[in-house]
Amino acid sequence: MTPQTRTVAASTLSASKVYGSGDDAVYALNDVSVEFFAGEFTAIMGPSGSGKSTLMHCIAGLDELSSGSAIIDGTDLSTMKDKALTELRREKIGFVFQSFNLVPTLTADENIRLPLMLGNDKGNEEWIQKVISTVHLNDRLTHRPSELSGGQQQRVAVARALASEPRIIFADEPTGNLDSTTGAEILTFMRKAVDDLGQTIVMVTHDPVAASYADRIIFLADGKVVNEMTEPTAEKVLDLMKTIGH
Amino acid sequence: MFRIAIKGILGRKARLILTSLAVILGTSFLAGTSVFSDTLTRTFDNLFSDVFKNVDAYVRSSQVIEADFGQEERQRIPLSLVDIVKTVPGVKNAVPDIQAFARIIGKDGKPIGSDGQGPPTFGTIGVEFEGALWTIADGEFPVGPTQVALDEASAKAGKYVLGDTVKVVAQSGSREFTLVGIASYGDVRSPGGATFALFDPATAADFLTKPGFIDAVLITGDGSVSDAKLAKAIQAALPTTDKTETLTGAEITLETQDQIGSALDFFGILLKTFSFIALGVGCFVIYNVFSISAAQRQRENALLRAIGASRSQVTRAMLIESLAVGVFGSMIGLVAGIGLSKGLSALLRALNIDIPSGGLVVTTSTVQQTVFVGTIVTVLSAILPALRAGKVPPLAAMRATALEVSEPGRKRLIGGLISIALGLAVIVMVIVGASNSYLGFGILLVFIGTIVLGPIIARPVALFLGRPAARFRGITGVMARQNSARNPKRTSRTASPVLIGVALVTAVTALAASIKGQIDDVFTQQFKGDYAISTNNRGFGGLSPSLATDIAQLPLVEGATGIGLVTAKLDGKGQYLTSIAPETIEGIWNIGLIDAAYSDLATDSIFISEKIAKKKSFTEGSTISAIFADGQSRTLTVSGIYINNEIGDYILNKGLIASTSVVTFDIGVYIKSRPGSDQKEVLSSLTAAVKKYGQGDLLTKQQYIDKQSGQVNQLLGLIYGLLMLSVIISIVGIIITLLLSVFERQRELALLRAVGMTRSQVRTTVRWESVITSLLGAVMGIVLGIGLGWVIVFALKDQGLTSFKLPVTPTIVIMIMSFIVGLFAAIYPAWRATRVNILDSLNTN
Ligand SMILES: Nc1ncnc2c1ncn2[C@@H]1O[C@H](COP(=O)(O)OP(=O)(O)OP(=O)(O)O)[C@@H](O)[C@H]1O
Ligand SMILES: [Mg+2]
Repeated sequence: MTPQTRTVAASTLSASKVYGSGDDAVYALNDVSVEFFAGEFTAIMGPSGSGKSTLMHCIAGLDELSSGSAIIDGTDLSTMKDKALTELRREKIGFVFQSFNLVPTLTADENIRLPLMLGNDKGNEEWIQKVISTVHLNDRLTHRPSELSGGQQQRVAVARALASEPRIIFADEPTGNLDSTTGAEILTFMRKAVDDLGQTIVMVTHDPVAASYADRIIFLADGKVVNEMTEPTAEKVLDLMKTIGH
Repeated sequence: MFRIAIKGILGRKARLILTSLAVILGTSFLAGTSVFSDTLTRTFDNLFSDVFKNVDAYVRSSQVIEADFGQEERQRIPLSLVDIVKTVPGVKNAVPDIQAFARIIGKDGKPIGSDGQGPPTFGTIGVEFEGALWTIADGEFPVGPTQVALDEASAKAGKYVLGDTVKVVAQSGSREFTLVGIASYGDVRSPGGATFALFDPATAADFLTKPGFIDAVLITGDGSVSDAKLAKAIQAALPTTDKTETLTGAEITLETQDQIGSALDFFGILLKTFSFIALGVGCFVIYNVFSISAAQRQRENALLRAIGASRSQVTRAMLIESLAVGVFGSMIGLVAGIGLSKGLSALLRALNIDIPSGGLVVTTSTVQQTVFVGTIVTVLSAILPALRAGKVPPLAAMRATALEVSEPGRKRLIGGLISIALGLAVIVMVIVGASNSYLGFGILLVFIGTIVLGPIIARPVALFLGRPAARFRGITGVMARQNSARNPKRTSRTASPVLIGVALVTAVTALAASIKGQIDDVFTQQFKGDYAISTNNRGFGGLSPSLATDIAQLPLVEGATGIGLVTAKLDGKGQYLTSIAPETIEGIWNIGLIDAAYSDLATDSIFISEKIAKKKSFTEGSTISAIFADGQSRTLTVSGIYINNEIGDYILNKGLIASTSVVTFDIGVYIKSRPGSDQKEVLSSLTAAVKKYGQGDLLTKQQYIDKQSGQVNQLLGLIYGLLMLSVIISIVGIIITLLLSVFERQRELALLRAVGMTRSQVRTTVRWESVITSLLGAVMGIVLGIGLGWVIVFALKDQGLTSFKLPVTPTIVIMIMSFIVGLFAAIYPAWRATRVNILDSLNTN
């Protein structure tokens, strides 16, 4: 793929997020303009407190920007009301959080179909079956989250994010709570979702190894984009992190 | 640890308020009813001590017959005794007194004052007398046979002014008088909602009771001798043949207060019973709130344990918190209760029952009882959760979730089953023949067992009840169903107050339905007439006996008969007796005579019911001695035994009563129209006849039967009203639990919102969870209540209740109501759930 033919799935334009005012003001995001391309796996890295989660939340319609705009699929989120935002999240966005991803009273299968069911949408059954078999969950579908391991729970979460065929998936440290083997499993799966299923994924992570699964890495520091890297490897990332003082 | 407890309380104000709410509600009802009945008692105490405040001596007949329910019928004394009393040395003044039935008819032709159950309508003597409480506010005292004075409230209600013609109905019929005075009673317009018509002594005796006879003589002394000596001297001066007794003013005051006191006591006990039921229901809510908050603080407590707090310190911290909540809640409850009793008084005033403005009576015992009971109940409800909090292993601090998920154990199953089995065994014993007094114990055991089993039953029943929601409401329904089943202990504790309320309502309804069904059957079978004229003034006046004879003369009427009531001593014991006219009752009432006919009832014989015959082993030909209110005695032969005792257990011939000097009246007139006559014409001719007398309600057969069962409805209404207290607490219980659950599930809600649940879907989920919980309580309560009702009906079979009727419509109504209660209780918690901040909740661990 050449840069000219890539389509933008989500982007921000001069996005700023300020907490507090006057002297106490904290710029969680400071004039950030980034683009996330369809069919790509993008990682966001940066020191703690650099604004990674804030950026993700603002693009995903979970939080509002103080100024600038966040655009998904051509729509400016700042113009949307709660109901429309909720529908946008349900239909166009998939989420994977670090922990507590699943509704404890629902089975794995129900959790996977949750966004679809909320929208009274049957979904594409063929696709859903494909997702389920890709994450190797076929024999765990009737179990509740308390009966699943941490890795299995995260796999269900990823499957849920994929099930509704969203425009873009946001994952905030999806492997942060997992051991390296299980983490690798999840990352491999996400990679496959991009390569085989054509998904778009944006992932926040601290881990250079995790980041190396991505096509591109965006580095944040103090609320600003400070660097970018394509076709990363763990070593390259580590080196760069040293230079920007991670 | 004390400081930690206090910090814990202050740190979570919302929790404090929620917990206190249950305590406040429970105690406010307790305090409110207590203040209200104290106020009522003192009001009436004052009222009746005032009546005889300036009376030094009181003469009345010593002839009295006491019947059931503490009712008594005292004989009257000659008016001429007043003049004898006046001659006794030491007497300053003496006036006659009468208190009898009199109904004032308003200008619009409608009787003033409430019918039947309400405050009485009196006719009395109004004369200038320093010992009397009646004063004339406007005009003058009535003199002569055509003048009347009315109490202020009645005059106003009837729209009468001085000089108007007032129609009054009394024992002897109806008469018209000229209004010459407006009287006031102490400082009230109308004492306790009663109405009063005042006459001069001769008119009162003639019109209200019996010419020349009065109830009592009121006497003031000149102060030369003590009241006791005065009373003695008066008694000595009176002819012994008149059978009188003389009391001092203090004695008669005390006697009146005692009578009123016991009548009010019953009311007070009723109020108190239901407020304690409400408090018991409140206990569940308090217990539930403490349990939930203990579960939510599991990690916090585990952390305390991990850093070195002992078990008992953790438990103590929680008990201290409950103590604070108990004291705080009951104090507010006390204040709220005082407000509540003000509301009750205002309600009575709106119903035109005037309570003298003496202010509310808040006794120290009310204050102590409320705060003490409220605090004890709160601390007791917190003991189990506090002990559980102490048992939290320090390791729990490391666990991810703080959910209260322990599975209901075997112990619970066994304990619950044993309690139910024991309870059922006791009930079976009662059914087989043990005393009915064990019934309550058996029922209590079943209730306890059911509530103990609650958490085990809750899950499957909630899942079952949630099925329609899951089917028709999609994922929100599925989640509501799962939420109501995810924590069976909590759900069942929340549903328990609903269960208790619904069980009591259902049982009372089932009982009432059975009684009503019985009344319907019985009256349809036994009453063969087409119309009835009934009066509500049982035991205190009634229909003139000539009404029945007048109506029998009407061309379209085939027959009419009057039935009366008298009191007499039978074999030494006071009883109500029914008097009938054997020559006219045939074909109108079928009392199921066994081998006898109405014509067998002579003026020296008596019919008795089969029940009494069995109980006292009377047979036809047995003799019974009867002493009537005027002191005359007769020996009566049992000349018939009958099965249907709806009109009474003893039946006499009216001719017998006529041969004594007892004044009698009819409580009902029963009419059969000529076959084939136009019912419209019959009705209009009857209406005209009844109107002439100005008393009694003309009813068709069906209306009459409905009216009989209608009395059950009145009692039912009162009990429903009182059970409302428990229902309100149940609703608050559901609200509190839902709110706590919403707080607890913030992360889950945030997640759902993040992946696309709209606010209205969040509301739907909470709403259906609430409905399922409420229905869970209702279903279990209905099952229990129907069982309970059946058992009570069975136990009452000695009282003549033969068949149990399932209250189908009320049961459906209760289900619908529970559904609505569920919806209603969810409003605020559901709104709170939509306000969950997605980011904050997702970020907090
Ligand atoms: N609600 C808030 N109020 C005030 N400041 C906030 C708030 N939320 C975030 N911040 C600040 O905004 C900045 C960015 O926060 P953000 O959570 O985006 O960082 P992050 O890069 O995700 O860090 P981490 O790697 O630790 O998750 C931080 O300095 C944080 O303190
Ligand atoms: Mg972060």
